[in-house]
Amino acid sequence: METKVKSKVLQQFQEATETIVNAELKKWLDQGGKVMGYFCSYGPEEVITAAGMVPIRMRAIGSTGTEMADTYMSNINCSFCRNCFNMGLTGEYDFVEGLVWLNNCDHVRRIYDNWKRKVKTPLTHMMSLPKMTAEAQVEWFHDELVIFKEALEKHLGITITDKKLWDAIKLHNETRRLLKQLYELRKKDNPPITGAEALAVVVASTAMPREQFNQMLKELLGELSEAEGISDYRARLMVIGSILDDPAYIKIIEDVGGLVVTDSTCFGTRIFWTGVDEGESDPITALARYYIQDKPACPRMFDTQPKRSKYVSDMIKEFKVDGVIGERMIFCDLWTGELFMLNKDMKSTGVPFLQLDREYITAGAGQVRTRAQAFLESIGR
Amino acid sequence: MTTKRKQPEKALKLYKDDKAYMQMLLEALSLDESEEADINKGVIKAVLDKYDEVIDCAENDKPFIASWFAYAAEIFTAMGVPWWMFPQTAFLGIEAPHVQDDVDGSERLLGSDFCTILRLSLYYVEADMSPKPSACIALLHPCDGTVVVHQAIKTGKWHDVPIFGADPPYWEDERSYEYYANELRRMVGFITEHTGYTMDIDRLREVCEESNKEYALWQEYNELRRVVPCPHDWTIGPPQCFAMATFYYPGKPGGVEWFKKLIANAEKRVKAGVSGVPGGERIRVLWFDILPLMWQFDIQPWLEAEWGVNMVMNMFGYTPYEQIDTKNEETMFRGLAKRSLAEYPMIRQARGVADHFLSDIERIVKDYSIDCVIWPGHMGHKDGSASIGMMREKCREIGVPFLHIGLDLFDKRYTSVEDVKDIFSRFFSAAGLGQK
Ligand code: SF4
Ligand code: SF4
Repeated sequence: METKVKSKVLQQFQEATETIVNAELKKWLDQGGKVMGYFCSYGPEEVITAAGMVPIRMRAIGSTGTEMADTYMSNINCSFCRNCFNMGLTGEYDFVEGLVWLNNCDHVRRIYDNWKRKVKTPLTHMMSLPKMTAEAQVEWFHDELVIFKEALEKHLGITITDKKLWDAIKLHNETRRLLKQLYELRKKDNPPITGAEALAVVVASTAMPREQFNQMLKELLGELSEAEGISDYRARLMVIGSILDDPAYIKIIEDVGGLVVTDSTCFGTRIFWTGVDEGESDPITALARYYIQDKPACPRMFDTQPKRSKYVSDMIKEFKVDGVIGERMIFCDLWTGELFMLNKDMKSTGVPFLQLDREYITAGAGQVRTRAQAFLESIGR
Repeated sequence: MTTKRKQPEKALKLYKDDKAYMQMLLEALSLDESEEADINKGVIKAVLDKYDEVIDCAENDKPFIASWFAYAAEIFTAMGVPWWMFPQTAFLGIEAPHVQDDVDGSERLLGSDFCTILRLSLYYVEADMSPKPSACIALLHPCDGTVVVHQAIKTGKWHDVPIFGADPPYWEDERSYEYYANELRRMVGFITEHTGYTMDIDRLREVCEESNKEYALWQEYNELRRVVPCPHDWTIGPPQCFAMATFYYPGKPGGVEWFKKLIANAEKRVKAGVSGVPGGERIRVLWFDILPLMWQFDIQPWLEAEWGVNMVMNMFGYTPYEQIDTKNEETMFRGLAKRSLAEYPMIRQARGVADHFLSDIERIVKDYSIDCVIWPGHMGHKDGSASIGMMREKCREIGVPFLHIGLDLFDKRYTSVEDVKDIFSRFFSAAGLGQK
């Protein structure tokens, strides 16, 4: 399954997902630009942009093994973390000026402890991300953002003014609005873009300078608005889960006829469905409120499941979803619990649901294909 | 305040059965008139008291709460609110006949790579095997599992039970303690709202003073365990001290008495040079995790008999606890917040930076003349398992052998007993330890 549009921009986005240093990022680095990585969708990219660096979401695409990381972590650790840390150890992330972690999950926060001991990255910073979403937590995260901002200022010898922060917020909000427009097109009966292609676009949004990305996405949106839609699918699917950044995984599902039309993943709607409130008086408060209260929460935030449940059911309606696939990285406790609750929700609403366990590096395509095929048959398509 | 909750029949039956099981253990022990047996009896009596308290509340519709050890239970004692700890059944009747079936049941809910003890907590709720409390205190650290299990509890069978969570910060500094102290204050308000029990600050002071005595005595006892040979084996001391101070008698007078007996017995044994391991102590182990209670009849006797192993210290037996400053409300809540974030075992090591894994190993190895460090690698402890490289390097630096096993502390089928024995034997042989 592929779009009918032969788009050069789309191809560039797809290429950007296949490597860590894509063409646009390379151009930036060649000009002497600095890059800072962040490990989770709660990473405050706006502050990094305001510091004059390009924020990139840490991935491990292209990783060829975990041999070195396995000396420090064990086989019950999430394979994203082991692959990512391995790439740190082999020097593939030597190009970054800094990295920022949040204590988002048990596995990722230990990459921080290991990384700062074993990999020489000029700046490493950890932020304490609350696990609840009340006002007290907005205040706490506000202070964490101030500490982070000051660490960047000190490291780079710069001042991050409110104006710079507001400019960054506007830039990132623009990315979010454009991505949402892309998803609007996917609501059509015949969407002009596949799920695998859409995922490539979202991944690219976290991997290259945002100004360029926004320009390119505007171009793509123009092309897609006139494109012929996809009609040769058997069912419309929604994918729910965590760090799914490999379009090849979605392609396996789409090759058997399940068109992925929307999602709730860390490289999907949860990073752009809402934006930072530009009407707040102070940019740091605006960011704190966005990350703690307004951004669609992931399961690590206590007491957010009912909200997420509604988010999913709204999506199912809006995107006319026939079935839901919940994907879970093996050993990820957050998503084990979340999919347990989601499964119950889906049973009570009668939406067909398939749970797939996976490793970060897509392998066992045959198994995914077989299960997706059986799923489509079970929902009568 | 009455709660008007309908208790699941199954839960009450299970609690009564478990209580009967503990009662049977107590009776078996009463044939033994030694001081050591008396110490064990003290713990079992405390367990039975807890069962009685919960059964009474459940049967007579009195308010009570479900919580975890990591919530400064001095607060519950001061408020006078009855409480029980979520995985109580699994922990205490760990070899009780139904536990294996329960583990299987929990696997059907959350699969096999999610911490067994946590999934049991959810299973007991979902299967109507837990008495339904008036309110529930959710644990949100040290691991991811806790956060989602309590959300599953809240959105599942106990959707009508009010649930509270205190947000644990990652850091350990004054800002974090102050923040968490406020979270604990919010908890007090929540408990009052849902049970009617209130907080009296003078009463909290009395409780904290009593608790300080317990912790001071615990420290005194730990000094005695430094002696070679250690006066007690793994069954007496560390796990019991933890249970008494943090769960059964937090700030209650019975605790102080029990600790005094324990110390008196240890002193006597030290003076007489008696080893806790009957055949003599040849390997002093730091077991750096929860003790393998589920394995107590399979591995422990074998380790003692075959290798002369004494688990001299474990993660739950040793923490540099600070005394609570009882000057005023602020200082008490600050002290309880610090205890909750940075002192309780497992929370201390696993919640924030990994540094406590390393500094604790270093201190315990030195203070307790440890011959080797064992990280069992419990399948639930993902953060610790992502710290094995750091622990191994620390051990290498201080010249002590390190073993990482990879097992489930609550399910012997994850790594078989035979495999675990084999791993131990190869490790001890390679390290030249335990030779007769
Ligand atoms: S699941 Fe949540 S915590 Fe994990 S990476 Fe995604 S957003 Fe972050
Ligand atoms: S998949 Fe789960 S375990 Fe892995 S990084 Fe994301 S939240 Fe953490």
